[in-house]
Amino acid sequence: MTDVQTTEVDPPWEGLTGADLHAACMRAARAGDRQAMDRLVHELTPLVWHVARANGLDRLTAEDVVQTVWLALFSQLDKLRDPKALAAWLITTTRREAQHPFGRRAQPVPLTDELAESMESTHPAPEEEAVRADRDRRVWRAFLRLPHRCQQLLRLTVLAGRAEYQLVAEALRMPRGSVGPTRGRCLESMRDLLAHEGGSR
Amino acid sequence: MNDLGTPGEMTSPGDEALLADIGRFMDELDPPPGDLVQRVQFALALENLDVEVARWERMDATAGVRGSDTGTITFTVSDLTVMINLTKIGKKHRIDGWLVPAGEYGVEVRVAEHGTSSTTADEGGRFVLDNVPQGTTQIVIHLGDVTCRRTVVTPTVVL
Repeated sequence: MTDVQTTEVDPPWEGLTGADLHAACMRAARAGDRQAMDRLVHELTPLVWHVARANGLDRLTAEDVVQTVWLALFSQLDKLRDPKALAAWLITTTRREAQHPFGRRAQPVPLTDELAESMESTHPAPEEEAVRADRDRRVWRAFLRLPHRCQQLLRLTVLAGRAEYQLVAEALRMPRGSVGPTRGRCLESMRDLLAHEGGSR
Repeated sequence: MNDLGTPGEMTSPGDEALLADIGRFMDELDPPPGDLVQRVQFALALENLDVEVARWERMDATAGVRGSDTGTITFTVSDLTVMINLTKIGKKHRIDGWLVPAGEYGVEVRVAEHGTSSTTADEGGRFVLDNVPQGTTQIVIHLGDVTCRRTVVTPTVVL
């Protein structure tokens, strides 16, 4: 893929961020601008990825689902008129795709073990680090024991709190900085799991 | 950030602290693969994006196909099934494919940085492509006749 342009003109989304950037890219993409599509993919693939992962897909299946969702978007871009609906569309389509029987069939590695392992190996630790790694491990395990619905909501809450994902907050109708009752309950369950996990390592 | 506490008896972390932890884990432990954006962009670099996307049907241990010498991959979309058998020969692949229902459809295999190999399935729906380079690969199938053209694509896989 090259970024070479035939003209010197900056793309119309240059300098824009967040929702404005996405809207400008969608307009250009609808007119067939491949750079605009690439930019959207670059900006929002992490969102699609985290929704796929939060729905219990292993990493390999999540990679396929991310691609499927993008191909589906650009094959029917005309149907998605309102750029503000983009995040909601991506989230819904990813969730639906993740729940498709083909995507579910094989989960060779249970999610919890897979991540617990990656965690062990990423923290070869001096002493303070070891304490921290141990705590991290317990927190992450508690997170992975939450229902998928909660995992997804909490991952999206984290993303929505980041400036570049303002549109996620809008899609979730969630004011920046607010946690809300459902998220509160998910966090409460996570604390319970963590408390039970407490002494067991 | 909240107090680490002693192992085994942690003070109960607040909402913000937990969300901060989750955010850190998402970035450090579970980020999208580094090449995923490029692979999506490659998958989208098609002349015509009016396509149907076939799903990779993982029957059993097919995840092991990636990186091994041979294996079968099945993709499906609505009424079409595409089966691909891979044989590694040196640094290339031989792809034996089978379309169900059968038809003399155009088949392209796109490999990133290596261009495209094309062939046409025989009336039994079978096709063979030799000397396919390794790399990020996508299969594109052209179905139908002049009255109703359809294109089916697969997500890219690293073969």
